Amino acid sequence: MNLILKLLFLAVSLTPALTLLTWGDGTLAWPLFGGFELLFELGPLSAFFLLLLALGTPLVALPMARGTPDRAAYGLFALLLLGMQMLLLAGDFLGLFIGWEVMTWSSYLLLIRSTRTTLEGAQTYILFNLASAFLLLAGMLVFYSLTGDFRIAPLTEASAAGRWAVFILLGLAFLIKVGALPLHRWIPLGYDQAPDLFSAVLAGLISKMGLYGLLLLPTLFPDALAGLSGRLLNGPAAGYGLAWIGAITAVVATFKAISQQDIKRLLAYSSIAQLGYVVTAIGVGSSLAVGGAIFQTLVHTLVKLLLFITFAGIVLQTGQRRFNDLGHLIDRMPMAFFAVLIGIIGLAGMPPLPGFAAKYLMFVGLIDARWLLLLAAMMLSSTAAFIYCYRLIYGPFLGHANSPEARTATEAPWSYLVPQVVLMGLLVLLGIFPGFAIEVIVDPVLMTLGLTPIGAPSWGELATPYGGYDGVVLMTVFGGAFVIVTALFWLARGQMRRAGSPYDLSFAGEVPTADTPLHYGAGMGRELRRIPLIGWILAHTTAGVQAGLTRQTLAAAGLLGGLYRRDPQTWTLLAVLVLVVASTLLALNGGWF
Amino acid sequence: MLEFLDSPSVLHGLHTIGSLTLFAVGLYGLLGKRHLLKVFISLALMELAVYLLFIALATTPGETAPILSDGLTAFVGMADPVPQALTLTAIVIGMAVLALGVSLAIRYHRLSASADIRTLADAKD
Amino acid sequence: MEFSASPVWFIALPLLAAFSAPLWTRWHLLDHLLFGVPLVLLILALGLFPTVHEAPLLETIVIAPPLGIHLHLDSASLLLVTLFCFAVTLVAAFLWLGATDSHLRGRRPFVLILLLLVGGNGLVLTGDLFNLYVFLEIAGVSAYVLSALRDDRPALEAGLKYLIIGSVAALFFLLAVVLVYLQTGQLNLAAVAREFAAIPPAMQGLIALLMLIGLGIKSELFPFNFWVPDVYRGSDPAVTALFSGLLVKAFLFVLVHLAVLIWADPAVARVWLMTLGALTLIVAELAALRQDDMRRMLAYSSLGQIGLIMLALGFFSETTTAGAFFHMINHTLVKLLLFLVAALLLRRCLSLRLEDLAGAARVSPLAAGLFVVGALGVLGLPPFGGFMSKLWMLQGFAEAQRIWPIALILFAALIEAGYYFRWIRVLYAPVAPAASADTKTTPEPWAAYAPLLLIAGLMLLLGVAPFLLETSVVEAAHALLDRDLTLQSVLGVAQ
Repeated sequence: MNLILKLLFLAVSLTPALTLLTWGDGTLAWPLFGGFELLFELGPLSAFFLLLLALGTPLVALPMARGTPDRAAYGLFALLLLGMQMLLLAGDFLGLFIGWEVMTWSSYLLLIRSTRTTLEGAQTYILFNLASAFLLLAGMLVFYSLTGDFRIAPLTEASAAGRWAVFILLGLAFLIKVGALPLHRWIPLGYDQAPDLFSAVLAGLISKMGLYGLLLLPTLFPDALAGLSGRLLNGPAAGYGLAWIGAITAVVATFKAISQQDIKRLLAYSSIAQLGYVVTAIGVGSSLAVGGAIFQTLVHTLVKLLLFITFAGIVLQTGQRRFNDLGHLIDRMPMAFFAVLIGIIGLAGMPPLPGFAAKYLMFVGLIDARWLLLLAAMMLSSTAAFIYCYRLIYGPFLGHANSPEARTATEAPWSYLVPQVVLMGLLVLLGIFPGFAIEVIVDPVLMTLGLTPIGAPSWGELATPYGGYDGVVLMTVFGGAFVIVTALFWLARGQMRRAGSPYDLSFAGEVPTADTPLHYGAGMGRELRRIPLIGWILAHTTAGVQAGLTRQTLAAAGLLGGLYRRDPQTWTLLAVLVLVVASTLLALNGGWF
Repeated sequence: MLEFLDSPSVLHGLHTIGSLTLFAVGLYGLLGKRHLLKVFISLALMELAVYLLFIALATTPGETAPILSDGLTAFVGMADPVPQALTLTAIVIGMAVLALGVSLAIRYHRLSASADIRTLADAKD
Repeated sequence: MEFSASPVWFIALPLLAAFSAPLWTRWHLLDHLLFGVPLVLLILALGLFPTVHEAPLLETIVIAPPLGIHLHLDSASLLLVTLFCFAVTLVAAFLWLGATDSHLRGRRPFVLILLLLVGGNGLVLTGDLFNLYVFLEIAGVSAYVLSALRDDRPALEAGLKYLIIGSVAALFFLLAVVLVYLQTGQLNLAAVAREFAAIPPAMQGLIALLMLIGLGIKSELFPFNFWVPDVYRGSDPAVTALFSGLLVKAFLFVLVHLAVLIWADPAVARVWLMTLGALTLIVAELAALRQDDMRRMLAYSSLGQIGLIMLALGFFSETTTAGAFFHMINHTLVKLLLFLVAALLLRRCLSLRLEDLAGAARVSPLAAGLFVVGALGVLGLPPFGGFMSKLWMLQGFAEAQRIWPIALILFAALIEAGYYFRWIRVLYAPVAPAASADTKTTPEPWAAYAPLLLIAGLMLLLGVAPFLLETSVVEAAHALLDRDLTLQSVLGVAQ
């Protein structure tokens, strides 16, 4: 019985792949009311995001199916998949919204299955997401009032005010979903508190739906947003604001990430930062930048799935999730070490992995648009990203083990390892063949958005007007160097002096106790607070604003609720007073108002 | 000497003033008295005021009761029967509600030893 | 007139069944009949849809030639009557199957629930003002007693409060009826509507105000709805399900129906009704944020939805009205579900306070799951029917280029989400459930869940296939809004 359930669950997780392969050119219509119908069709843009789903869901479902089956979680996961596929396939706003909402509430119900969720975390998650959904609904209703139709189509006829209203409402809705500052607070809370494997879905797949929405904007406002309000420098003026939102998000979130002490929170902030790049690139709107954005979306999905699944394995094996409590896992969990190593190379956008190609395209796009200030901000952020990437590999894997669990941990179960291997393989392959990704995955999407495809001379090469590189050569060089260095270390293994336990240390006559933070990674990132501007950013959060808003709303609620706590006489008095006042007014006015 | 009182407008005016006074008295009791029974009595007073107003304004002096009998076969010179029928119905309904209210109040008094309308307000939950 | 095609059965049958209750008690048929009578009426109502589609049904029970009781069954009232019969059938099934507490079994609730049905059906069917008053009192009296049925202190308090404020409302309405009669000499709604414009404007205003306040109290609109949470808190959840699902809908319909007929100028009525609806919506949703008792919370949420329906009905456009009718149906389903779940949880956990329900999902997972379904439905999230009806109303406003109601509705929905998800979170809290929950370990019989599962299934069905109801609600909206049609059909027969 359990086996059948699990097999069924795994089969459900394959549905996105199945949809992608079997859908073809058909459209599916489902009538609603008043002549409206839901229209489902598969365009290249949806196909790209469906590909991400198809890749991601089986890989997450495999470890999820481990152990006693959690029927409710399986059911909710199936609903989540249904919602995401609906929203991707939808040819009109109605289907998009329905899918969006189904995704929102089913992911919330999955989120609160974790024992770590607090009331605040859960409420923040659902309210931000519903705010996003309702902004989307408002946007699509304004769209409807302008065009009389819910179909996703270019908005060219409408007045400027109407177009701006749609742009802002939809833009805000999707920006909340990707966690742009200052609307990001639900991401660190949610990713941190969600069940460990579900965090992978949140970061890898659900957040991408916001990007899907943002990429719809160029469809609605053709000519790469420039149709909205002309051009600035060499890019669309309407996108300039969007680009800055992305850049600020990237910079601030990167520093936030560096200062985190919890692995999952760090990954959450890094997610925000990475998606910030994508938002900037979408703002630029040129073929190079959007191509980079799509590429980055793909890479980020793979990387975040890899990292979250790996760390889910580590948390499963050790029960620890803070940098201070781990360490020295390189010996005990070598596979996890390699997974994280590949993951951070991809995350940091270093060659030879495809993260580099993606970032390269985006930077070139910024140069092409002459938005150099933005380029500087992005450079700053992506350089600072090295620090948190370094923490990810150093804290858990190097140094010495800092908790009993970390000292006795073993490699995660195979159901965690298989996805890791698959994802590592995909990342390396994409690194070798960036041209393949450009030609087969990115270009069709660019063409749907009405942009010129980037193209590639061969599958191994990335080429832009500003230069390119050969992935095969690059990978060979890096791979060779890696093999040589590793071999040297391997040979020198016996001769190297290994450090003993840190507790051998004693200084000034004192022997450190078990809770003395001797780990090299302890407090890492704390010094950031002393850098002038960054310290100020780190010291300020939007939590206060949110708490204040909540408090004010509750105070208003209390005030209004107080009205209801009276006796029948007061109620009657109020009714009589209304009667008297209104009839006096009527009499004075001599009739109707 | 008091014939002028029989003219419809004066009579109607008097009736209106009277029933409005009654209504005001009832309203005062409803809003100002704390004992449940007094509140119910006030409600009944207000209802009564409405009935009075209805009957009084719908009849003019000199009309007879709208009953068809041997000599009378047509509704001529009779008061409009509708208000009377309606008032009768309303009185019955009002009675029922009043009885229900009083019985609830008695039960409430037995359980809580209080018949104060204000103690109803502090809802416990 | 054909036997089966008469609207009078919707009133006469439950009335007869209620008054012969002693007979049924002796034959042990109470449960069966409480379920059977509304079911028969439901089937009858469903069978009448094709007939009413052709033309409204009129029934005049003549007492003496100028006097008569006039019933008017058009698409709008038929839709509501069907809804009411359905609601009562479901609640009866729940009471029957669910091993309910003794005070909800037996002769008293039998009579009262059927009388409530009589009142509700009568309110929407009647064609003259005085009968409206009579049905208002019938519905009122049975509701007062129903809320005091448990016969303990909170229930009696609820009953007394309801009775006092309800009598005030009835008084206001009666005064309005009296004034109308004195001014026009008519009680038939259509005749009144025709002659209302001839009344002096000041008197028109006074009558309209009295009616608005009287019906406003009954239909729980903002400055007059302070009694609602207290009454809902004190009554049994199974009973409040009927209040929220049946009674309020009937009064709302009456209010809008009168407004359409009497207020010849829709612009004025629109301002009044939409303002009241908007106020009700926003105030109730805000006030609900702080509630720690599930019944109170549900009461405020019900108020909010009433405000929403009023906002859409008061706009007097055919699209929003159709959406509002659809939303009435959905809201009835949802509130039946939520209140019946509350009844189950109350029996299980012995309290409906927030802190006592922490982790209740472990004790009764199905009830908690159904609460989630209900919450999603009431919030208007797809794939449940609530979404479709909300979308319908919103689309109506968008069509008319009115943006402020859209913003208001969405903002209110966000606040509503704030408290519903708080409750969901508490139900699924990862703590051991309160000790009191363990005192009663026997699980509910599965049959108790059958009506609830049926409701959940219907909600899903209406969300996935809203076109099933499209013709009926559009026709209902048409029948409600088309004043001339009503006047013509009624006066063509009456004269």
